[in-house]
Amino acid sequence: MMRKIGIAFRPHNLLNIQNWLLSSRKILEIRTLSAQASSTTEIGSIDTGAPVENGDSKKNLSKAMKAYLDRAREHDEFMNAQRVEFEIGKRHLANMMGENPETFTQADIDNAIEYLFPSGLYQKHARPIMKPPEEVFPQRKAAEFDETGRPYHFLFYTGRSNFYQVLYDVVEHINEMYKFEDSMTRKNLQPDPMLKLNLSGTEWIAKSALEFRVVETVSDREYNTFVTAMDRLSNMPFAYKVKDFIMEYRVSLMNQSETYDAIKPQIREDGRESVTVYECRRKRAIGNVTVISPGTGKITINGQGISYFEGIQEREQILFPLIFSNMQNKVDIEAEMQNGGPSGQAGAIRYGISWALRSFVDQETMESMRLAGLLTFDIRVRERKKPGQAGARRKFTWKKR
Amino acid sequence: MLKATAYLFLKHSTHRAIPTRYLTAAAELQQDERLQSFRTQEADPSKHSKDHLAQFYTIPLSDRNVLFQHGGLPKTFQQHIKTFNETCLMVREPAVDIINCLKSIDYDKPAVRFVLYGKNGTGKSISLAHVLHYAFKNKFLIVHVPWVGDFMRHCKDSSNSETREGFIDLNINAAAWLLHFRTQNAELLKNPDLKISRDIQWTKRESTAKDSSILELIEHGINRMRFASDCVNILAEEIKLLSNAGICKTLVAIDGFNEFFYPTTKVYTEKKEIVHPNKITLTEGFLNLTKFDWKNAAVIVTVDEMTVKVHEEGTDPSMSHFPRFLLGKHGFEHLDPFLPVNVPLFSKKEHESIMDYFRERRWVRPYPGQDEELYFLSGGNPFTLLDYCKSL
Repeated sequence: MMRKIGIAFRPHNLLNIQNWLLSSRKILEIRTLSAQASSTTEIGSIDTGAPVENGDSKKNLSKAMKAYLDRAREHDEFMNAQRVEFEIGKRHLANMMGENPETFTQADIDNAIEYLFPSGLYQKHARPIMKPPEEVFPQRKAAEFDETGRPYHFLFYTGRSNFYQVLYDVVEHINEMYKFEDSMTRKNLQPDPMLKLNLSGTEWIAKSALEFRVVETVSDREYNTFVTAMDRLSNMPFAYKVKDFIMEYRVSLMNQSETYDAIKPQIREDGRESVTVYECRRKRAIGNVTVISPGTGKITINGQGISYFEGIQEREQILFPLIFSNMQNKVDIEAEMQNGGPSGQAGAIRYGISWALRSFVDQETMESMRLAGLLTFDIRVRERKKPGQAGARRKFTWKKR
Repeated sequence: MLKATAYLFLKHSTHRAIPTRYLTAAAELQQDERLQSFRTQEADPSKHSKDHLAQFYTIPLSDRNVLFQHGGLPKTFQQHIKTFNETCLMVREPAVDIINCLKSIDYDKPAVRFVLYGKNGTGKSISLAHVLHYAFKNKFLIVHVPWVGDFMRHCKDSSNSETREGFIDLNINAAAWLLHFRTQNAELLKNPDLKISRDIQWTKRESTAKDSSILELIEHGINRMRFASDCVNILAEEIKLLSNAGICKTLVAIDGFNEFFYPTTKVYTEKKEIVHPNKITLTEGFLNLTKFDWKNAAVIVTVDEMTVKVHEEGTDPSMSHFPRFLLGKHGFEHLDPFLPVNVPLFSKKEHESIMDYFRERRWVRPYPGQDEELYFLSGGNPFTLLDYCKSL
């Protein structure tokens, strides 16, 4: 049975994370069954204290094995109790909501909880939840050895059998690749450039994700080894043959193309192109910014010129994206701002200008604007005053007496 | 400097911090070889025309010492005179327009009134100084008030008038102004034709006889400070009479004229009550001079937002730099009809000219994109530009 688990852990058998979750649940079931099976036999034999037919197995049972089995049994009992509780709770909830308990899904549970226990807490993970116990309590590794103490996995003595299994698979693939490459060379065939593996927009899964996946702790050094090995595999000319395996260990970055797609300019009555960014914000300020191209560098803020802002800091804030993208004197700007103070309004206009300028600059400039932080929304806001303190952080003057 | 910063960022667009030495390198001199003729050798303001616009001309030291010895140029500008070691003014359109008008108007008609208006720091006082220089060169009798705020807000002392019930004298200020008047018109006052038209009985013992010279009257005001305020008013009347008689040609120039109509002053009575400007003796004389009921004269006044801003905390949304707002109903009716002359913000050409001047004087260090950046940041406002150039 544990070999099966080993196979199930082989990530190349998994299609994606969702499948992985499914299979992990399966594994859990398998684990539970095995633990139950072993514990029942053992409990029987221990509790009765009666002479046992299979005397050899009892003799061979080491102390470590026994302690492990006790722990496993406790855990399983606990999990079973939790599972039963969850099922009952779910049915209660379904009745309260007037739904059919049989078809009550997890999404329904979440909705019901949100409805019955509305929470104003900011942190989502601090709000009340009701989830299957498997998701709430951390997973534990099942027994990796049989009753005689013989490990199931051939890499058991590495201490991190699942992790090293991944590395083993990588090397196997690399070796296969070498062979395949040789055969192709013999046939005078080149790798298909159309099929070339495109890893842009994705990155290797983080150490914590890897640890979760293999249910083992992974040191920094081991993680580096993992990344190196995967890099090596993915850089091979025929790496697209094991694309599925590689992509299992990659997660996509933020979807750039979607986020940074420039707004399509509108044609104005005077024939010029304009882009309006609505609801530009910073701190308490909010407003709309319109960039008109071609222009002469004229700027209008709430009907005034740059003199709307008295400080040089605010004026520079507005000027910077224009100078950075080399668009000064090439576009006109109109801004309507409300609320907030000068620095917030200037920041919001700066953001609006940068956001709108994407429509008029090339891809390269847009990328450097992103790197310069011009396209990043500034989430900082004023920190609230705390009771018992003079300000957000400042304390009242402390006098000994 | 933003351009250099952007350039450096693009050059080192990694997440590493940019080493300081690169930033210093960016600020290094990159000599701009553009040698425009931003100066004009034409030092006579009467010959300035549209061809000289946006060019600098130098006021000779001798002229400046006579004209502006007791004020008349803004404080920041005086600092620059000291720094640059020369008195350079830019020839700008409002001053040239007024000079052209002064050349062409018929002095037998009632006095023409000009009102210079514009936003804070656009150069109203400098334009006025330019016109004054023209008047000085063309032998006008100059009646110049450097800044009315000195009377209304920064008065040295105040006392009840002895001659008129309920009025307040600002004797030290009046005497200082008489001194200023005497200095500016030192040459003209030597003219023996400038005589007073009547006997003036100051007290039982002191009097100034008819047909004694104007200079005597002024000397009396300066020496006997008690009578300085009354002396100013009498002088104003006499100047009007003399101009009407065609003995002299007069130019009245008053900076911050709207202060004569602004109800709040910092002059207080003995009971600590605020004195309205029309209860101050000096006001009468200068308002008399700005009427149109005389000839051989021209009047140039400026109206300034600063008056209102200084008195009121926070800015009023209805705040405006236009004469109707600043003068108020009475002031507007007093001056009406007048010629409003707008002092605009810098044009691009003027901006480049002044930046060239600063660079020539080694006041700013050049860097790429300097002119455009500063023009945007200052919004074409000369005063703001001076402020921003301090650190460059």
